[in-house]
Amino acid sequence: MRGLALSLAAGFASAVVMLAFSGGQIYALDENNCLSCHGNPELTKTNGEGKEVSLYVSEEAVNTAAHRFIDCTTCHTAQPHQVNTPLTKLSLAQKCGTCHQYQYKLHLQSVHGQQLAQGNPDVATCVDCHSPTGNPHSVIRVLEYSAPAYKKNIAQTCAKCHDNEELMASYGIVEKVYESYMRSFHGKAIQLGTYEITQLDKATCTNCHGYHDIKSTRDPTSPVSGVQNLAKTCEQCHPGAGVEFARGFLGHKEASPENIPAAHYTEVFFTILLTVVVVAGAFVVVTAVVRFAINRWREE
Amino acid sequence: MATVARIISAEGAQEEVITRFDIHQIIQHAGLMVSFILLAVTGLPLKFPDWAVSQWWAGVWGGIETLRATHHFAAWMMGAVALYHALYILYSVLILKKPFPVKMLPSWRDFIVFFQELGYFLGLRKERPLVDRFHWREKFDYWAIFWGMPVMGISGFIMMYPVWATKFLPGWVVPAALVAHSDEAMLALIWIFMVHIFFNHFAPGVFPLNTSIFTGKVSRERYRREHPLEYERLTGTDERKEAE
Repeated sequence: MRGLALSLAAGFASAVVMLAFSGGQIYALDENNCLSCHGNPELTKTNGEGKEVSLYVSEEAVNTAAHRFIDCTTCHTAQPHQVNTPLTKLSLAQKCGTCHQYQYKLHLQSVHGQQLAQGNPDVATCVDCHSPTGNPHSVIRVLEYSAPAYKKNIAQTCAKCHDNEELMASYGIVEKVYESYMRSFHGKAIQLGTYEITQLDKATCTNCHGYHDIKSTRDPTSPVSGVQNLAKTCEQCHPGAGVEFARGFLGHKEASPENIPAAHYTEVFFTILLTVVVVAGAFVVVTAVVRFAINRWREE
Repeated sequence: MATVARIISAEGAQEEVITRFDIHQIIQHAGLMVSFILLAVTGLPLKFPDWAVSQWWAGVWGGIETLRATHHFAAWMMGAVALYHALYILYSVLILKKPFPVKMLPSWRDFIVFFQELGYFLGLRKERPLVDRFHWREKFDYWAIFWGMPVMGISGFIMMYPVWATKFLPGWVVPAALVAHSDEAMLALIWIFMVHIFFNHFAPGVFPLNTSIFTGKVSRERYRREHPLEYERLTGTDERKEAE
């Protein structure tokens, strides 16, 4: 009993000491002191093409990064100054794939990954969705509130490219996917929810389209291609949802005479009704206010 | 039907009042008012989700789940009030053999009164038109709810149970229900806050609040002013002729 009390007291005391000395700051593992040079914002080199590139690595970003306890040389090889890898979106993904093999394999099968393999610089690679700055040194865990892949932020992350009208038009994507998502029940629920994960069990882009293995909607294997696949995707959250339920989806477009005309004409009818009644009501109230004011003024 | 009675007012002075609404009507209005306000404050954030105030307000309620549960609760409450009203009408007509409340039905005279009143507001007429038991605005409020209740109830029910609804209805009913629900709600909200609140709180003679729907009583003086035709019928006097 006395021993237990003593060890409790000792444990408490050492916890206090640890807290007092820790200062709350966590430093990244930097076994080879790379940051003593690369922590300098002015460090640059001139590459083969005669272009000046920055060699700066923000210590602040690295200290809070997911990989802060993995030494620089894990990714940059044991002789980091000897190598001359071409830095492309594909080589970046390959580097991540040396550890994250499963995700890399899925990504290569995705519409983004397939384009990546063809050297398309437009598409998303790992860091585009996992680093708040797009810098590989700033990659943070998915469950951090500021992570671009945190549930609450996913739509905004996709929107970085998919809300770019010009870029999307060049791929034949004319739907305003971000806007229409934000107008939908799912988008509204995500917007009104807090950052707490318990508030975020709502569908966002990736819940229907997939993430590492995301497919083009024109790909017949996409979870949203064709009403049959779509119904199965709806059913993941809406048990019992059938094909007819999926047919009610506006397909990221406005209702129009071509796209679910019944919804379009319902909207037209109620818009006219709303406008007529509100204008008439406003007219009555405004004229009444003026009349009552004149009456009052005449009485005095 | 309205009856004339005497009550002792709070100041102890005798005040003649006319009973305008019975207890059931008072309860129905109160239930409608409470459920309407609840529905509005829990539904509006969904209409304007990108407004900072909506996000703050959803947080005050403890998140969208609470907001939605309250909206559903208030919806059932409003449905219950509607049912209460329907049963009340049926009971008084079929069981109590009271005459059918024809005075609430819109008539050609309401259109005339509407334009006459507008003419008075615009300064084209000297006098306000004479009103019977219900003013055209009161009838409009009543029938707007009569139309709005099934619209909001059915569209809301479809959105509450979309999987169930699409078991036997086509898929388009869900997006159609959303636009109908949203627009009809805005219509009701704007009308209540612009027209109903103005004429029952801010108009001369009722400021700061027309209490008749809460107490069921209206002073004889105000009844004569606001519903002269019914007042004459009730009291058997023709005030206008007496005044001449």
